[in-house]
Amino acid sequence: MSFTDADLIARVLLRADQNAFGELVRRHQSPVRAFLARLTRGDAHLADDLAQVTFLKAWQKLQSFRGDSRFSTWLFGIAFNEFRGVARQRKELALEEVAESPLELEQSAAAPDRNLRLDLTEALKLLNSNERAAVVLCCQNGLSHEEAARVLDCPLGTVKSYVLRGREKLKRRLAPAYENYESA
Amino acid sequence: MKIMNPPEPNDPLDALLRGRSQYVEDNGFTSRVIARLPRRRDRFWLRQILLLGATALGSVLAVLWLPWNNLLPLDFSALLSPNSHVLLPWMLVLSVVGSLIGAFIAAVQWED
Repeated sequence: MSFTDADLIARVLLRADQNAFGELVRRHQSPVRAFLARLTRGDAHLADDLAQVTFLKAWQKLQSFRGDSRFSTWLFGIAFNEFRGVARQRKELALEEVAESPLELEQSAAAPDRNLRLDLTEALKLLNSNERAAVVLCCQNGLSHEEAARVLDCPLGTVKSYVLRGREKLKRRLAPAYENYESA
Repeated sequence: MKIMNPPEPNDPLDALLRGRSQYVEDNGFTSRVIARLPRRRDRFWLRQILLLGATALGSVLAVLWLPWNNLLPLDFSALLSPNSHVLLPWMLVLSVVGSLIGAFIAAVQWED
């Protein structure tokens, strides 16, 4: 018999059942860690630290989970907040805004074969954190724009523009690789 | 259930992104999280107090209603004789003490 997330959450709330919470962690650790790995630009150690903090916060705040969104969406929201906190501390957000300009320069100057080597992982690193989060949530994890807006704590229209801009940047960056991908 | 964003048909970027969503192996991650969980004492201290309080109250009432005159007879040789008037109060005392000890152990071990 398999329990739903709602069953497990109820057990945690009523009995502080650590086994039930462990099952929730097992179910959701992969998307949360992958999401954080993307946000941290592949820093696996930082991503895992943030993921641990995310689940510890989830344990502490579980009573505030109202069930009006999916549990995974709620977790992504905590994860993104944790990332944002660390990014602020490290002043990465400020650096990322600067990092946007080289994208245009490199794109015009880069040799085609260099672009071919640039895979999706590298291309995602060139997006700012909001665009990257929106693209990963909506295009990779299948969240709706409404859910992503809740995770990123911003208006729906803003999320849509993050996704649109992010996708456009990825397409431009991966244009040569696209051709190979389509022909494969 | 929310309706997810449907991937754009024939869009290689969507295919590429979805293809990259690989499963991340647990590799002890869940165990590390569980090991760091703080104990939820906030939810349990109330139960412990209720458990001990109810037992203590019951014990006080039982002690108040005990027939102390029969419990401690002037003639101590009566303690050796199997007399229900003497044995019954002593059994009540032992029950009260046992209940208190049991409640204390239950309260202490509640989280285990």
